[in-house]
Amino acid sequence: MAENNSSLLDVHDLKLHFRASAGIVQAVDGVNFQLNRNEAVVVLGESGCGKTSLAKALLRLLPRNVAEYSGEVYLGGEELMGLTDEEYRKQIRWVRMSMVPQAAMNALNPVLRVGDQVAEPMMIHAGIKKEEALAQARDMFSRVGVSADFLHRYAFELSGGMRQRVAIAMSLVTLPDLVVLDEPTSALDVLTQANIFNLLKRIKKEFEVSFILITHDIATSSELADRVAVMYAGQIVEVGDAESFFSAPLHPYAQKLMASVPRLRGDQELEFIIGKPPSLIDLPTGCRFAARCPRRFEKCDQDPPVFDMGNRRIVKCWLYEGN
Amino acid sequence: MSVEARPFQPQAEDQEQVETKRGSTSTFSRVAKYTLVRVIMLFFTVATGVFLTIMIANMGGYVDNIMRGNIREGLAMQMQQDPAYKEMQPDERQQYMASLIELEEKRLGLDKPFVTRAFRYLTNALVLDLGRAVQMTSDTGSKEVRLIILERLPPTLLLMGTSNLVLFFGSLFAALALSRQYGSIWDKAIIALSPTSSAPSWFYGLFLILIFAAVLRVLPFGGMVGSPPASTRWGYFLDVGKHLILPASGLIISSLFLSIYNWRTFFLIYSTEDYVEMAKAKGLTDREIERRYILRPTLPNIITNFSLLIITLWTGAIITETVFQWPGLGRTYFTAIGLYDTPVIVGNTIIYAYLLAMTVFLLDFIYALVDPRVKIGDS
Repeated sequence: MAENNSSLLDVHDLKLHFRASAGIVQAVDGVNFQLNRNEAVVVLGESGCGKTSLAKALLRLLPRNVAEYSGEVYLGGEELMGLTDEEYRKQIRWVRMSMVPQAAMNALNPVLRVGDQVAEPMMIHAGIKKEEALAQARDMFSRVGVSADFLHRYAFELSGGMRQRVAIAMSLVTLPDLVVLDEPTSALDVLTQANIFNLLKRIKKEFEVSFILITHDIATSSELADRVAVMYAGQIVEVGDAESFFSAPLHPYAQKLMASVPRLRGDQELEFIIGKPPSLIDLPTGCRFAARCPRRFEKCDQDPPVFDMGNRRIVKCWLYEGN
Repeated sequence: MSVEARPFQPQAEDQEQVETKRGSTSTFSRVAKYTLVRVIMLFFTVATGVFLTIMIANMGGYVDNIMRGNIREGLAMQMQQDPAYKEMQPDERQQYMASLIELEEKRLGLDKPFVTRAFRYLTNALVLDLGRAVQMTSDTGSKEVRLIILERLPPTLLLMGTSNLVLFFGSLFAALALSRQYGSIWDKAIIALSPTSSAPSWFYGLFLILIFAAVLRVLPFGGMVGSPPASTRWGYFLDVGKHLILPASGLIISSLFLSIYNWRTFFLIYSTEDYVEMAKAKGLTDREIERRYILRPTLPNIITNFSLLIITLWTGAIITETVFQWPGLGRTYFTAIGLYDTPVIVGNTIIYAYLLAMTVFLLDFIYALVDPRVKIGDS
């Protein structure tokens, strides 16, 4: 396929398990997906399904109680998991991969001026002087719609939307290939959310950057998505391009998820999924969704493999065996 | 600027105008008002504290009775032993003694009620007129409390300064290093050792004396200089240094591990902040993260701890100084309490109270300097 040349990120069997007092938490358990340049993939899923852990695993921001961290991650053809921490820091962090945090209030240092924080990565990675870095930060501020005066402000002096824009400016300042956005708008009001999503759309075009957008907000994220990955109990159960996914999701979980989103037209009743996701400590042996699945059959007692549906679409469900 | 960004602009400008308007008109009066209120309040706090000290040091007036008894006993003894009084008639002698008692009580101010005197002590103390000691004297023979304190201050500053500075910076940097290795063998060792701080410093002092002075005979038992004192300046320094090792070690050992444990927990809490993780994601080195994202935001706490530590130097280490015969303020306190020498106790306390009030007052301004979120007098 032609896409292979433009493939930016390839993740194979990525695992991130934590040690907890109750046992091993399998937060990310064998995740596979692939992302092209200048593409945005939306990772959808309920709270506690391992979305944020996936982001942390990609960014190597590991907590202290890691039990297992394995798999293969290729970024532009280079394998990342084999890099030492120092190599990873110098070559990958903010040079090729950056992030936008969930709550920008806490992600900005309260006692440093935001301009200095935005300029910081350039001073570290490009080795340029502070004045020059600040000039570039000023330029980046204007491109994300923040007044240049705000360079000298502190985080607590900005509104929530402004802070998120500063965080976005910060993520782009070194022109990375990939930005991981971990629920970037969940702390904001709807109007501000819409503003930020429009900004992200524009930025994706302007900077030719790839996004991994982690969210549970299906409606808003559909604005930005080129591809959708659905995560359930630490695994990705379906990946497809946005258009075909939103019109016809394949995995029963994805179908249920879509049915829970309100639509403007049509008199359909909102659905919900009975039961709750399995504990990531004590996972069932077969399909992890089987207990809540309306289309369950005998085969579901075994763990389904990933079925390739063609056109870069995959689904992890026995219903699609033989397709 | 793109069209979609516009809805934010007017909002942001409004905010800015409001802030500058408020800032330019009232900053001076706000700070001035705050300063005035703060000074008055702190003065009352100091006055209350010192008054309580006066009451306690005098046992609420009971020390008067003790002193009256002492005067009577002393004079009676004196008269009995002096042959000149033997000639006197008992009546006459009785009368003469009464007049002597009256004179002595007047000299010590015991003729006035305690409450009146307590307030006079207070006003004298507040204007730093420390008065004269009842029984204690300085090494030069003066009874001036001021001179006694000034004479004993340098040894205390030397002992407490050395041990507390080593303790503060040692535990701060050890804790910072330890917070990076959460759960490591060193971390566990420090946690296991932290209960050692439940024993006081003089307890460790006794053991140190036993080991290094009595058994190994490498360091002196106590005091600040050997006898006779070294003749050269360099020799004198070395001699004082040698005498300093044991008491300072006692003070350090008794607090070190708990202090490291304390700071380590403090840094651990602050190193889980989102902005620390963000700094890591940005590719900052561990050293930069520590400096700009852990130490810098916690600077107000560190400064508070440090300045309170500096003023506690003043109180000295009462029992440790006594155990080591260290000629400092702590031992002076100890002696003064034993002799009911209230002017010395009160004199020392008032200076400490003023230092504490001044530090608390200055800290408010220092916070505003190091933390942009703090505004002086902002409710």
